[in-house]
Amino acid sequence: MMRALIVDDEVYARQEMETMLAETGEFIVAGKCANALEAMQAIRKERPDVLFLDVQMPVINGFELLGMIDTEAMPQVVFVTAYDEYALKAFEENALDYLLKPVEKGRLAKTVEKLKRRFAEGKRPVFAGPAIQKIPCLQSGKIKLISPAEVEYVRSSETGVHVVCPAGEFFTELTLQILETRTGLLRCHKQYLINIDLVDEIILRENMLADIKTKSGHLVPVSRRYLRVLRGRLNF
Amino acid sequence: MEILFRMTQAMSVFVVVAYICCKSPLLRSLTADAVRARDRVYLYLVFSALSILGTYLGVPVHDAIANTRAIGPVLAGIIGGPLIGTAVGFTGGLHRYFLGGFTAFSCGLSTTVEGAIGGMVHLYLYRRNRSERIFAPEVAFITAFCAEIVQMGIILLVSRPFANAVTLVEVIALPMILSNAAGAALFMSIIRDQKNTVDRIGAVSSAKAFKIAERTLNILVRGITAESAVALAKIIHTETGVGSVAITDKEKILAFLGQGADHHIPGNPIASSFTKEAIAENKVIFAADGKERYVCPLAADCPMTSVLVVPLHIDNDVIGTIQLFEPRNKRFLNMNKTLGEGIARLLSNQLLLARYEMQKNLLVQSELKLLQAQVNPHFLFNSLNTIIAILRIDAARCKDLLIHLSNFFRKNLKRAGDLSTLAEELDQVNSYLQIEKARFDDRLAIDVDIDPSLLKVILPTFTLQPLVENAFKHGISQTMGQAVARIKAFRADGWAFVEIEDNAGIFHEKETDDGHGIKIVDRRLKGLFGSDSGISIACVPHELTRVTVKIPLEAQAA
Repeated sequence: MMRALIVDDEVYARQEMETMLAETGEFIVAGKCANALEAMQAIRKERPDVLFLDVQMPVINGFELLGMIDTEAMPQVVFVTAYDEYALKAFEENALDYLLKPVEKGRLAKTVEKLKRRFAEGKRPVFAGPAIQKIPCLQSGKIKLISPAEVEYVRSSETGVHVVCPAGEFFTELTLQILETRTGLLRCHKQYLINIDLVDEIILRENMLADIKTKSGHLVPVSRRYLRVLRGRLNF
Repeated sequence: MEILFRMTQAMSVFVVVAYICCKSPLLRSLTADAVRARDRVYLYLVFSALSILGTYLGVPVHDAIANTRAIGPVLAGIIGGPLIGTAVGFTGGLHRYFLGGFTAFSCGLSTTVEGAIGGMVHLYLYRRNRSERIFAPEVAFITAFCAEIVQMGIILLVSRPFANAVTLVEVIALPMILSNAAGAALFMSIIRDQKNTVDRIGAVSSAKAFKIAERTLNILVRGITAESAVALAKIIHTETGVGSVAITDKEKILAFLGQGADHHIPGNPIASSFTKEAIAENKVIFAADGKERYVCPLAADCPMTSVLVVPLHIDNDVIGTIQLFEPRNKRFLNMNKTLGEGIARLLSNQLLLARYEMQKNLLVQSELKLLQAQVNPHFLFNSLNTIIAILRIDAARCKDLLIHLSNFFRKNLKRAGDLSTLAEELDQVNSYLQIEKARFDDRLAIDVDIDPSLLKVILPTFTLQPLVENAFKHGISQTMGQAVARIKAFRADGWAFVEIEDNAGIFHEKETDDGHGIKIVDRRLKGLFGSDSGISIACVPHELTRVTVKIPLEAQAA
């Protein structure tokens, strides 16, 4: 049995997909999500084997979502969409399959075969993913989109990953690893990313440690390991 | 005293000559504001001749001549500038020099100087931006007055024996200064009057032309038809006052107004060879008394004997003619001839404009058809997908949705040029909303509030639907949380308003396809109801986008 996650912004589309997947007898539906943010949470929690993913969704579309998922958690991806203008792009993005709504039973059976073959090979898919243009953050139930250029630094703690910008501190579902690879933010500590464009000064401490002062006056620690990288980057 | 009297006599002859000169075409250029090279030559010749004439009309006094020679150079200078003034003065002076006498040289020299003085006055006025003073008689009087005083000075300085010069000046100074100054002033006032007359005639005919232009503008929007031709002929007939006016297309008479209307009947084919020639060769034909006079081919007792035929054209294709007729006992005025040609040119331009407007409208229509034909495939397939899902749980609702879907598409196929009532527009919008409501069942609220007294309001078909679709495409479908779509119709201050609002608050400033769609809807509303009607957009980021349609209620009475 394959664990499937359904992501679609239309309620009946999710229901229909769930019913059809159940009818094949090959899937356990691990969850249904109405948007990319819900999907990010569910992927981390449920670790599904396969994503049935709609392309057109509010704020963050299907392609953008793929760029925000950690590589070790990345499931196989089957795009499910109403119109085939994205088919080519979907395959360029390494999608396993591409289904058109309304989905035909026979066509879904072929997808099952493809999935089984892929799992037999045992390879995890890799998505190049676009650079992240806006970081989705939660702010009292609302979604706030923050451009990476506005971010001063990002910190990770037991409570999760927080993006700090002049407007305040915001929780995000994205991991440090994804933010490091898909935005221009630089790692300066195991738990911190820094925006090099918003650095005010670097205060060197003893034992090859340092603190970075950002333009709005926050202090961000730099660990020994990353100070070397930072020096190379900034030529000091 | 006698000299003054005789000089006044001479000056009068001189002024009569001046009057005749002014009336002749030779001096017409004087009355024009811009002096061209050819006009300068005329100016030189005429005033040189006047200067020489002034010498001959002079009175012999003490071996010298009391004269009005100075008027020519002074006026030539004031009107034409220092170069012409000096040239005229030199010519007049040279002539005087060869007549001899003890003042031959001093008079020749002083005449040249007087021309130059006139020229200086011209330059002074021109540089002070007061060139309208050039034709003022006072200026001519003062200039000639001063120039003559200078002349007397030169005679005293240059002429020998000095004693003779003094005696001469004592006798001639007063009469010459006064008569030359008065002559110059009189001459100038004649020129000015002539100039004013020309200006007035020009003003009258431009006023007529403008009036015709203004009155014909609306008539020609629909091109030349039998009805618009009659209206047009009426305007031209009253404004020009000619005997009769005809308008034809390339084959037949469209309208005929005035004398001879009994046998020049609209609808009949063109009979006159002049008209045929004008159409075939695309040229203006004028036939008046004389060899080429107009003879009516239809009736022997037709009173018309002169005609102006002007072709009307769009680009270079002749599409018809305008004809102005005058009867035997009335001269065909030159002014009406020019006016007739001008009107035809104006109408041709207006026709070109009308054609351009028509093509622009066609373009809007076809753009709209294209917009309508572009059924959003996402909407279609997602709707079908939703209906299939609902089929599993609620067959009755599924049936309703399919009926809404077919209603929506049927309305979409309606012709774009038609008008609809608000009720009909809302019917299509409602079908669309029912389907969208099903698609986003869990997170969409729809709020429709329509003043029922507005349901009969007429508006262009396919006004609301694109706006509602737009609200979904860029608003509702872009929000993650609870979405709200509001449609409200109400009346205020004699207008009907329809508001379409979403709570996404995403406004796209840049030109998208949909922005183009809104523009088309706006243009159609303005085209139908005038520029105060149309569409306005308000956006509060992250809160709402509101598109408002404004329609005048008084236009609805008809």
